[in-house]
Amino acid sequence: MLGALETTLIYTCLLGSLYLLVSLGFSLICGVLRIFHLGYAYIFTATVYLTWMFMTLFGTPPYSTTVLVIAIICMLAVQAGIAVAIYKGLIVRYLQHEEIIILGLLFVAIIVEQAALRFYPIQTGVYLETTVIRGVSQLGQVTVSNQLIFAAILGIVITGLFVLFFLKTKLGLAVRAISYDIHSSRLMGIQVQRVFMFVMVLTLIPVILATLAIAPIWAVDPYMGWGYMSIAILVSVLGGLGNIKGTIMASYIIGFVHSVVGFVFNQPVYMGLAALVVVLVMLIVRPQGIAKSETVW
Amino acid sequence: MRAGGQKWEWHIEPRYWRNPLIYVGILVVAPVLIYFIYPPLLPTIIEANLLAAIAIPLALMTISTGRMNFGPQFYIGIGGYTAALLSIHFHLSPGLTMLAAAVGGLVFGFIMSPMAIISGGLYYSLLTLLFPLLFLEATYIFTDLFKGDTGLSGVAPLVSTGYFSLNLLIYAFISLTIMLVYLFAMDKIFRSRYAIQMAAINDDEEVANSIGVNVNKVKILGFTIAATLVAVVGWFYAHYYQAFSGQIFLPLSFMLKIFMVTMLGGRTQIYGCVIGGYFIAFLEMILIRLTGDMSPVLFPIILLILLLVLPEGLFGLYRKRRYREYMPTLRFRR
Repeated sequence: MLGALETTLIYTCLLGSLYLLVSLGFSLICGVLRIFHLGYAYIFTATVYLTWMFMTLFGTPPYSTTVLVIAIICMLAVQAGIAVAIYKGLIVRYLQHEEIIILGLLFVAIIVEQAALRFYPIQTGVYLETTVIRGVSQLGQVTVSNQLIFAAILGIVITGLFVLFFLKTKLGLAVRAISYDIHSSRLMGIQVQRVFMFVMVLTLIPVILATLAIAPIWAVDPYMGWGYMSIAILVSVLGGLGNIKGTIMASYIIGFVHSVVGFVFNQPVYMGLAALVVVLVMLIVRPQGIAKSETVW
Repeated sequence: MRAGGQKWEWHIEPRYWRNPLIYVGILVVAPVLIYFIYPPLLPTIIEANLLAAIAIPLALMTISTGRMNFGPQFYIGIGGYTAALLSIHFHLSPGLTMLAAAVGGLVFGFIMSPMAIISGGLYYSLLTLLFPLLFLEATYIFTDLFKGDTGLSGVAPLVSTGYFSLNLLIYAFISLTIMLVYLFAMDKIFRSRYAIQMAAINDDEEVANSIGVNVNKVKILGFTIAATLVAVVGWFYAHYYQAFSGQIFLPLSFMLKIFMVTMLGGRTQIYGCVIGGYFIAFLEMILIRLTGDMSPVLFPIILLILLLVLPEGLFGLYRKRRYREYMPTLRFRR
């Protein structure tokens, strides 16, 4: 009994923090831009495969840390460019036509996935050596990878920084104001378009960090983005679309559900289904989610 | 018009039936010509008919509920798996499996139709998006029943003449018949008073309710009928391929194809769905033949460009040049 409780607690914290990092960007876009970023999956795939592409371009195996750092910087630049292009080419033009935005974003995700599959199929053996802390640690009866612990701590730190940014900075205040009322924000002189573009780029940070942190320990393939996007959708919907408080609570709830089903009942195959059912029930009973939705804080 | 000294008057003016008759004639004659000239094109024709047959009831569902359903492939899964399981395990004839698939679509459509009343806007889109993913998860979990990734094989064929090309021709006509029946049915519905009620719900649900439109009844009816019709297409897929796997029909990629048929067809314009279906099917076929393994990358790129360049779809181009109202135009609103 105590062992099960210990396992549940540890994995709830680990998985919850990881899911928080994965879902933060999605929730932010929902809360500020008020769009459902169904193409969110492309960020995960693009992070891994762009980094790999630049690594093979600038170096030869075994890849040095310098090559890895340069590859990551180049990947960040390309990702920012893609985000701005998506914003200006798709979102700005079709903001009043939600179905076009949703379909367009889905297409972007599929294009990135198929391009990764075509140029770097699974047998290529793409692997990012972004391990920060090697080895494993014994937490009670649970043996956990140190990299996973690092990713969880990173999730908490990044979320804390984001919360501080939204609460203590002028730009963060502008983002919150837009999430409350876009028209009043415009009247107060906030450059809404620029803030939107900033948010599109800002949302890349937690996702890229999450992907780089877990790439060495979890499976990497062109389809990896969909699983993480599903988790991001579930967490954001459960927590209240676009609300960071709700996202924080929901990520730990989903982490709890996954840890109980996967590690206590030993039925990992039911993890996804269990989380889906929880969110479906919430959508029917309380569609607005745990926290007040469509406001950032 | 005069014939034998007597004056003949058309009860319905030719301008209302002449063009539809010409287009249906082309659709009927084309498979026969292709059969003699180049039979490998027949599967493309079948795929085009089926895509249109899915998009046409989806247009009804969209207009009647005033919301976009992001999971029509869920009902294809219901129809396909029902037909496949009954054919494999109980050796039921295709006629009976069709009935079962339709009943399955009706039951699930009816159970899920309250979603269109309870949830609105983005939440409705989310719920409808989640259901096919839930179904796909279930096919992986209950591997004994659904056979996971591999899917169910050994489904009885609809047609078996012993000649492969002739089988394909007959399948082409069956799929064409299904599509034309759906088109005719939707045409009748959209010319009826129910269409006016749907248009009122589209514009403003509360005003429609206040003037006496039974909003819940219209939504539930539209949702359930559309789900039933889409499930029948799933039945056809199962018997046509003699196998059915959720891995092919339930993911978002298949949903995107259906939605592009709808969007290219002019957003819930039922005649445009036929144009959209043929366009998507032939585009995919041409890309596979010309570009080989680059086609999975180029296909979504081209569709994305078309989506951005033609927001009103291909049918919208036609309507801009020749704007005529043959039937009340229903505008889908978000």
